[in-house]
Amino acid sequence: MARYSATTSPITTGAGQADTTALTSNTYIGILGGTSTMRLNISEVYAGGEATAASAPQILVFARNSTIATTPAAGGTRNAATDAASTAPGTLATVYGSAATGPQRSSTLHLLHLSFNAYGGIVRWQARQGEEISMVGNAATGGDSTLSPYTGNTSGNISAHVLYELV
Amino acid sequence: MNSKRSHEGEFLLDHRNSPGIPDAVGIPWGLPPGAGRGLFEGPSYTCSHCQFIVVLNPKRNRERAWCRGCDHYLCDSCGAERALTGKCKTYKQTIDEILTAESRRHT
Repeated sequence: MARYSATTSPITTGAGQADTTALTSNTYIGILGGTSTMRLNISEVYAGGEATAASAPQILVFARNSTIATTPAAGGTRNAATDAASTAPGTLATVYGSAATGPQRSSTLHLLHLSFNAYGGIVRWQARQGEEISMVGNAATGGDSTLSPYTGNTSGNISAHVLYELV
Repeated sequence: MNSKRSHEGEFLLDHRNSPGIPDAVGIPWGLPPGAGRGLFEGPSYTCSHCQFIVVLNPKRNRERAWCRGCDHYLCDSCGAERALTGKCKTYKQTIDEILTAESRRHT
């Protein structure tokens, strides 16, 4: 079905946060399923560094959330169909960068670790077809995922995107 | 015909214009030694039981966990559990269970 690109404008990652703590708005990019039966397949996660100071090691984690975001809002994120001619499904996933209460990253369901230096570095993971990361529903833990900085992160600006398919 | 390598994804870490990251940062997060300098391109695979993405260390000698139940590589954590319990439950089965429960809830 429809393929989408969830992107975020430059965000300042900050010092990072531990698992199972509410993530601070505008330090992450999140994807939340639109319905209780929605399925998403994530095929690519990319982050590019835009730090202006020397050496800003990032400890980014793409993970399922054990507590979903409350009242998620776009913030600096966008959700765009990759095929201009595609017909949008009736309900879309929610791509968000801020929330009234931030989502909490699961301590056991990390999916992808993306460590890189935001001072000139880039990092990208691409799935082989059929090997994508799956999301299902709109509840914890399968329906909400985030790319967020982990404890020990050195603050720096990054941009990121997540390519996914609404199945 | 499928091979084990036909499941591999791609992981790119490009620090050609960057000081990179030291091994002290990269290794604890699953990167091979030295991957944080210059250009690193390597294969990855998706654990079929939990969907964790494993970046393959080309210098690793220990065998990778393999599940005969689903004919797929596992991450070390799921591999240890599989060795202890002998059980195979893929994440796709978990999704099916969630969707089945959801459909029953609506009927």
